[in-house]
Amino acid sequence: MRHGKYPLLLAFLLPPLAIYGYFVVSPYAQTFLVAATDWQGLSPDYNFVGLDNFKRLWHDEYVWNALLHNVWLLLLLPVLTIALSLFLATMLNVGGRGGRGTVRGVRGSGIYKVVYFAPQMLSVSIIGVLWTQIYDPRGGLLNGLLRAVGLDGLAQVWLGDPNFAFWALLAVMVWSNVGFYVVLFGAAMQAVPRDIYEAAALDGAGRTRTLLRITVPLLWDTIQVAWVYLAIIAMDGFAIVQIMTRGGPDFSTDVVGERLYDTSFGESKFGYGSAIGVVMFFLTLSITVLALRVTRRERIELS
Amino acid sequence: MVREPLPVRPSPRPVSGKRDAKHVRRVWEPYQILILTWQGGVRRLCWLPGRVTYARNLLLGSSGTFLPVKGFFSMATVSYRKATRIYPGTQKPAVDALDLEIQDGEFLVLVGPSGCGKSTSLRMLAGLEDVDQGGIYIDDRDVTNLPPKARDIAMVFQNYALYPHMTVYENMAFALKLRKTPKHEIDVRVKKAAQMLQLEDYLGRKPKALSGGQRQRVAMGRAIVREPQVFLMDEPLSNLDAKLRVQTRSQIAGLQKELGITTVYVTHDQIEAMTMGHRVAVMLDGVLQQVASPRELYDRPQNVFVAGFIGSPAMNIKKVQLNQDGAVFASLVLPLTREQLAAARAEGGDNQVIVGFRPEDCDLVSASEGGLPIEVELVEDLGAEANVYGHAAVNGSNERFVVRTDRRHMPDMGETVYIKPRVGQHHAFNAATEQRI
Repeated sequence: MRHGKYPLLLAFLLPPLAIYGYFVVSPYAQTFLVAATDWQGLSPDYNFVGLDNFKRLWHDEYVWNALLHNVWLLLLLPVLTIALSLFLATMLNVGGRGGRGTVRGVRGSGIYKVVYFAPQMLSVSIIGVLWTQIYDPRGGLLNGLLRAVGLDGLAQVWLGDPNFAFWALLAVMVWSNVGFYVVLFGAAMQAVPRDIYEAAALDGAGRTRTLLRITVPLLWDTIQVAWVYLAIIAMDGFAIVQIMTRGGPDFSTDVVGERLYDTSFGESKFGYGSAIGVVMFFLTLSITVLALRVTRRERIELS
Repeated sequence: MVREPLPVRPSPRPVSGKRDAKHVRRVWEPYQILILTWQGGVRRLCWLPGRVTYARNLLLGSSGTFLPVKGFFSMATVSYRKATRIYPGTQKPAVDALDLEIQDGEFLVLVGPSGCGKSTSLRMLAGLEDVDQGGIYIDDRDVTNLPPKARDIAMVFQNYALYPHMTVYENMAFALKLRKTPKHEIDVRVKKAAQMLQLEDYLGRKPKALSGGQRQRVAMGRAIVREPQVFLMDEPLSNLDAKLRVQTRSQIAGLQKELGITTVYVTHDQIEAMTMGHRVAVMLDGVLQQVASPRELYDRPQNVFVAGFIGSPAMNIKKVQLNQDGAVFASLVLPLTREQLAAARAEGGDNQVIVGFRPEDCDLVSASEGGLPIEVELVEDLGAEANVYGHAAVNGSNERFVVRTDRRHMPDMGETVYIKPRVGQHHAFNAATEQRI
């Protein structure tokens, strides 16, 4: 085996690497090149314009507007999703004390797990279409419910009103992501020895204290991973926006990804679009690095 | 006579009203509040019915005499009253109608083979396990349905259950912090406990940087700083090596004596049980077999199980025929009293009796003295004395016997020796009920 090792390894490694290189890495590289041109996308002609695209980008208020929404997402999406999933995971795995000390989930936690995880099994496009229907101002489920309980005043044109559209989208994003993190955190909680929770209960920690003082520190590694994933999702957010609002109304839900798509495929400015893509790449990269740095902490060893 | 309603007094703010329900809400006059605040002790003041518990600062001064002032802070009795635990999905109770009274300041050891319900009993007291029937009382206060934190109990777990993300100091201070104990008092109490347990040099370390014995001591410290009404220990020594176990055993017993806190200790090791406990409770299959002092347990076991469980090597216990004088061991007859004979024949005894005698309660005699002939197959030389294992034919079956003997009279393997239980040192049990007679 010793001598034949490398040919065999290469035989397995090279094809996927070649495919990855050709379809993923090389477009990335090309984007950097295209970003320095005024390519229109349809004709083979283009001129190199240097950093003009980036200069223009700096002064493009639509891009800034879109970036601002990404920043909001970046601040809110991870916090809301992680907080909600931690809460739900706690209730499902260790929260069901019923006033006693036994460590277990609330009654029916098996069913809840399935319910929370269900959105994860839907594709983003289905989620988008589904929620567009729910938010529909006339026949939608949300307004229907509000009217059914007599809260007609609260019924809104959810996706058509610049004041609400962004929050409506944020809610969908949280909803669609929570299930996965409930399962992720749940698995991590199962790995924590039960007697640590029992010791905390004897020490006088209620549910909230246990969550904040015991669970969160012990799950910090997992939370950190969740944070990075969600930050990346927040920097993107393209799919949901594209399906549900296309950045509208009045650019109130625009995100950088949507701007990139619009500029390239809508306005046929591929050079400029690529420049947006390049900026987005570096932003996502630096946020990931930053998130990993900031949340880094000494590794905790569960006995 | 119609009485005038009393004028309603403007109600002063109850000072410690937000604390656990067990504390009596005492109404304070404003001037008292002022004085107490000035003395820096409002928070520390909480009254248990009838006795002062936490008014240390006020009564002892703040010179650091919080920890153990024997008999000053509250101790408690514990009683299990027909407490039963049936795990969901099973028919047989894990703990079956446990009746047990534990005295104030007592060190009670629950002992039994694994699966006998001793840990479950302990966890029921801690509130970590439901009580399906019956009740549990601490100081005559029904705690059956109280959550663990309302029971004022501290527990040392088998795997210590230290919080891995906290330092030793934080581990010990955690419970106090949750109770909003003032910082300097936490500091004093933690340092004092650390000193008692020789943990001062490790206060800044995380549990993973500690050895097994140190972790065990931190777990103890975490319980001590709480100054709880009751200590619970669930096989705290089982993860230590043999030498450390013996050392820690005496340390724990000494600590308990010093603090005088009621302690319930679970172990499967009968030597731990016999050496540490004021009283020992032996359990089997969820049923309490006997509660007694170690001495009593050893000298007067109430049934066959206790007789066989306590003592090492185990008692020789054999089921033999009765005659009019006593129990017949082949050529040897162990005399029984008239009452014992009557009791052995009652309750389906079927003219048989179970007789036991301890390995050290018999002598090696010469062939002429009428002992039971035993063929020696193993001799354990323990230094001070020796255990002799062998077989003898009793009523047609080949039975195994153990005798402890002086080293000087150590027989050789294959030799036949004659053993004779000392008069009055044997135990007799009814053959059907297995109870002492």
